[in-house]
Amino acid sequence: MRKILIIALREYKEAVKTKSFILGLVLMPVLMGGGMAAFMIFRNKVDTDDLKIAVIDHSKIIRETLEERARYRNENEIFDKETGEKVKPAYILDFIQPDTINAFQQRLDLSDRIRSGELHAFVEIGSSILHPDSTLENALIRYYSEHSFMDDVRYWFSDPVNNHIRQLRIDEMHLSPEETRDLFYYINVEGMGLVEVDKRTGDVQDAQKTNELESFLVPYFMVLLMFMLVMMSAIPLLTAVMEEKMEKIAEVLLASITPFQFMMGKILGSISVSLTIAAIYVLGAVITMKQIGMDAAIPYHVLPWFFVYLILSVIMTGSGMAALGSACNDNKDSQNLQFPAMLPILLPLFVIVPVMQNPTSSLSTWLSLFPPFTPMLMLTRLATPVTIPAWQPYAGLAGVVLFTILSVWIGGRIFRTGILLQGQKPTLANLIRYALKG
Amino acid sequence: MDIIELRQVTKKFGALTAVNELDLKVPSGTIYGFIGPNGSGKTTTIRMIMNILYPDQGTILLFGKEQKDQRLDHVGYLPEERGLYKKMKVYDVLKFHGELKNGKNIRQEIDYWLKKLDLSAWRDKKVESLSKGMTQKLQFIATVIDKPGIIILDEPFSGLDPVNAEILREALLELQKAGSTVIFSTHDMNMAEKMCDYIFMIHKGRKVLDGTLAKIQDQYGSDTLRIQTELGADALEGIKDIEKISDFGQVQEVRLSAKADSQVILADLMNKTRVLKFEVTRPSLYDIFIRIAAPERKEDNHA
Repeated sequence: MRKILIIALREYKEAVKTKSFILGLVLMPVLMGGGMAAFMIFRNKVDTDDLKIAVIDHSKIIRETLEERARYRNENEIFDKETGEKVKPAYILDFIQPDTINAFQQRLDLSDRIRSGELHAFVEIGSSILHPDSTLENALIRYYSEHSFMDDVRYWFSDPVNNHIRQLRIDEMHLSPEETRDLFYYINVEGMGLVEVDKRTGDVQDAQKTNELESFLVPYFMVLLMFMLVMMSAIPLLTAVMEEKMEKIAEVLLASITPFQFMMGKILGSISVSLTIAAIYVLGAVITMKQIGMDAAIPYHVLPWFFVYLILSVIMTGSGMAALGSACNDNKDSQNLQFPAMLPILLPLFVIVPVMQNPTSSLSTWLSLFPPFTPMLMLTRLATPVTIPAWQPYAGLAGVVLFTILSVWIGGRIFRTGILLQGQKPTLANLIRYALKG
Repeated sequence: MDIIELRQVTKKFGALTAVNELDLKVPSGTIYGFIGPNGSGKTTTIRMIMNILYPDQGTILLFGKEQKDQRLDHVGYLPEERGLYKKMKVYDVLKFHGELKNGKNIRQEIDYWLKKLDLSAWRDKKVESLSKGMTQKLQFIATVIDKPGIIILDEPFSGLDPVNAEILREALLELQKAGSTVIFSTHDMNMAEKMCDYIFMIHKGRKVLDGTLAKIQDQYGSDTLRIQTELGADALEGIKDIEKISDFGQVQEVRLSAKADSQVILADLMNKTRVLKFEVTRPSLYDIFIRIAAPERKEDNHA
């Protein structure tokens, strides 16, 4: 154990004292936070040049409303309320007569004007939008621009047109304002937790509203953090071991330590690195959430599971990576193996959303009990507000512990053979042979 | 007492038998030289002694007992290809190796050896900033930092300039005087002749020589002439009863056939040229090595 600790300490010191580690540790939250801040700052920083939009109104009922809405917007909604500075472009609508004989040519001409920069877009409003016929052929509003999918102007057209034609339909029905209000009153389904009994006082506690942060962001943050930590600490073992083998460092060390001590020392070093980063980020997240008054969303009950599963995940992945690294002979070998070796930690990411949406489904349960996926998926389920059966995290833990022992055992056998062999390709057949023969 | 003993040790890699039924006894406190052509099994033998490889058959005893599956804290090992963490500082890398070997007074030992091998100025420099020779000396210090009872060095002198080779030679002799047993493999026959109490030669996995230099040379008798003449190797043209000439430029080493008479050869040479040196001697280790490892080479033969 003493020698394992010496190896682990060297690995840890070499990892954490590098400038890139410290820079990465500081930069990642800065970049993530900065990215969000930049998004908030720049989302309103759009081009403020006025946008000219041609409108072909076949319906002949919408022009007045659109002009009125555009005028109101251009006078009231495009300036910063405090500074009076223009922050959005004005929409200049140009209503043009529909060409009923050669509509296609008209669209082509307008498209050319867009391409030449004279127009931003043009909108074609169907003739029967008020009373769509059975084919709905003329009940369409089409928005033509060079990038219509992400264009704010397209979204702006939707409301005034629909509100106006809806009002026209209501007017035709002669409904009272009350009837109109009732007709359009939309009731949201409110998400609630469960009613509980306080174990200390015995009082019944009313259910709390569930929120987006608790249901989605907390599990997502924790799983991403675990993924990132495993990526940062366990995955690099593959190339590190390969380099130690190729540079003959391994042979020097193997005169003093057994291959198993060598491998475990490296894995223990990786665990220490990941725990250091985890402690810093989790502590930072807890303090930040407390500062902004979101204590209630901190999943304290999940944190011990997070650390336990993190440690096991690093051991499980790290032993595999070290074993594969020992079987490699050059960078090409390690590059070829890196992606397949990462699959056990990549695949759970693809099913996180369905697991978060329904943490108690059979799919979620069984996937989270599959040992390679357990650390990430069981953590996801634990972090959601839904209560999962109490035995499942423990069953998952038992599975992961057994699987980790198996990984270390197989990894150790491959490692002790691979680390001294030169020129043998790390094929599946060779890896199985090393594992069987030890 | 034999500090290392190999009994009928065999190691195979697939169809290749790298080491074949090898017996060896290394007395405590001696310097034992391993010689042999490339690929003869020297490194495999050393790796088996170090428990890095396990023999397929046979037994290896260190300090009088088998050390299977154990790492040997009292054995220093310098592998053929050097390997140190390049990003670590010189002091840190030595401390790391010293701690792994469970060494005592590591700090003092590091200072002592750095000074002795002229590396004190590099104490806080990274390994990657050292020259090849310096790295080799550093690796040597890492090998002996815990004052091991057995020191096994695979090609310790390769790549060293004569000054550094001399420093290393002195260091090894000092360690021997302090009680360590030293085994080293080498292709430098001159160094092996000068330093080793015992010579061990392995060829194609089998032991072909084992004993003191004098004992080995005795096996070959005084069948060798060392000659220096004004004509150089040309003077030997047409001289009878010569089996082989090794031409070193200034000096020629001549192996005689069984019926040769050295006095007749001297007279023949004196008739041809001025003889500067004429020595009847036993074959050098270099010559013995060539006789065993390359008996098929005919280009220099003058039978």
